[in-house]
Amino acid sequence: MRTLSGSLLLTFRELWAMRITQGVLVIATIAWLLLSFALNLEVVEGSIAALRIFGFETNPVNSSFDQETQEVIRTAVSLDNFVLAINEFVFGAAYFLGTLLGLFATMPLIGGFLEQGRIDLLVSKPISRPRLLTGHLIGVWLTVLALVTYLVGGVWLSLSLKTGVWDATALVSIPIIVVMFGVMYSVIMTVTVMTRTSGLALVIAYGLIFLSAILAAHDQIEPVLAPVAASIYIGFYHVLPNFIEVVAIQAQLVSGEAVNSWYPLISSLLFGVTTYGFGYFWFSKRDF
Amino acid sequence: MNEIAIATHSLAKTYSSAFGRKKVHALRGIDIEVRAGEIVGILGPNGAGKTTLLKILLGVVSPTSGTAELFGRPIGEAQARQNLGYLPENHRFPPYLTARQTLDVYGRLSDMSSEMRKERIPRLVEEAGLSSWIDIRVGKFSKGMMQRLGLAQALMNDPDIIVLDEPTDGVDPVGRREIRDRLRALKDRGKTVLINSHLLSEIEMICDRVEILNKGKIVRSGSIDDLVKDGTGWRFFVKNLPSELDLSQFWVEIENSGSDVEIIMESGAPAQLNELIDRLRAAGVTILSIERHRRSLEAGFIEIIEREGYQI
Repeated sequence: MRTLSGSLLLTFRELWAMRITQGVLVIATIAWLLLSFALNLEVVEGSIAALRIFGFETNPVNSSFDQETQEVIRTAVSLDNFVLAINEFVFGAAYFLGTLLGLFATMPLIGGFLEQGRIDLLVSKPISRPRLLTGHLIGVWLTVLALVTYLVGGVWLSLSLKTGVWDATALVSIPIIVVMFGVMYSVIMTVTVMTRTSGLALVIAYGLIFLSAILAAHDQIEPVLAPVAASIYIGFYHVLPNFIEVVAIQAQLVSGEAVNSWYPLISSLLFGVTTYGFGYFWFSKRDF
Repeated sequence: MNEIAIATHSLAKTYSSAFGRKKVHALRGIDIEVRAGEIVGILGPNGAGKTTLLKILLGVVSPTSGTAELFGRPIGEAQARQNLGYLPENHRFPPYLTARQTLDVYGRLSDMSSEMRKERIPRLVEEAGLSSWIDIRVGKFSKGMMQRLGLAQALMNDPDIIVLDEPTDGVDPVGRREIRDRLRALKDRGKTVLINSHLLSEIEMICDRVEILNKGKIVRSGSIDDLVKDGTGWRFFVKNLPSELDLSQFWVEIENSGSDVEIIMESGAPAQLNELIDRLRAAGVTILSIERHRRSLEAGFIEIIEREGYQI
């Protein structure tokens, strides 16, 4: 455990020294403060009677509307729906920004870890290579978990205190974001271990995210392709991470709806596990 | 003290390019034995395979064939490195760590207990002459200070085998002497030290024995005395040496220092010595003194490598 703690400590200290954690903490705190002080709600019988953002007031139920229209609007802007909309927006944004920024921010970490003059000293210690890499990975994952919990949990807490609506299902975003970050970090780790070029690893990881947007439209694209092209396309769909489709799962979970299909998340997880396995194998065997 | 600390058996390493189109044979069947308590220098020209040999012993590089053991344990086992300290060439400690944190992290990685780390860190930092820098980030350290800290790191777990790659690189003469003194003190405590250095004068002063590598093979091994004895020659101090006098057949080096001239004859066969004396006297040269000349390790090393065919 002592050897593992050494690897873990090195990762935490590096993340802290790179100012990544501080930067994300500042951004998350700003998001909290904005929600806490800039947003004011006036709630009447479970509906939003008035909404003030940065002091600008708006009344969604305008008295110039007829009675029937006012009732429809009142239902639409019910407090629950408002909280849900905010949650979907904030946590959807956190999913994309959190993962993309997280990958960008942690990319130099694995590059530094594998730097000549550093990795050779690390692997000469009486710690097995898989354990050394595990210490690094746990450090990265725990840091991302802490930061996402601070951001998402803080926004959720702030909104709940403000509105009195305490719906914990929104917090399911935390494991979803961390897991998908972990899946995409497997690409960063494995490509960097193989090539020792973390920049290339980031390009490939972002490329896979972009590709997942194309693969997400499989219902529309597959029927118009020639049989061979369709087979290749659908092969990619099953093999590569379905980053974009997972955001739909997250939205369904946040809104309390039943999830249509868990397949995109499961196939992404399988991709991540396989990629990590390959990265571990390569790291254990390669010369430094 | 006769225990074998390091042993390699037919150790070979071949580096292959992508798809195996080009192969480089870095090591071609290396057999060495280093006894506990010895200080052994690994010498060789660039590309001889010195660093590859050290990295294989440290588990950083895998051998293509052959085996190696540290105190009888195969190098593939992580536990074999429990008793090992290593100072790599051009090591890079994370610049955001202080000297204390650096030693603490590497101590943890060496599986040292908290008590042992707390006890050894201030002592090693003091021995390295870095006490006033203990809580300063290593990013602010000079090359020489980094090297001192690197040596402290290599000694952190009180290892029985210490592998040093260019330990005096970037260190000033006073620091070099301190490092030499520390290595001798380690030897007195029965530690085994393996050194790779281009500074042959340092090797000559510290090491009991050297292993000379060329083109991936051991071309010579033995004590420093054995190596320099082969070339024991003569040193003449003379006056009035005519500039036109041709002494090239004797393979001598001539150095002028004021009115006196120093002639160094690397090869010391008596017949050649007498022939040179006759030639000098016939030319009217005044011989002031003749003394034994012990050739340097560098001269011996160069001769061996040139004989073997120097090639990168």
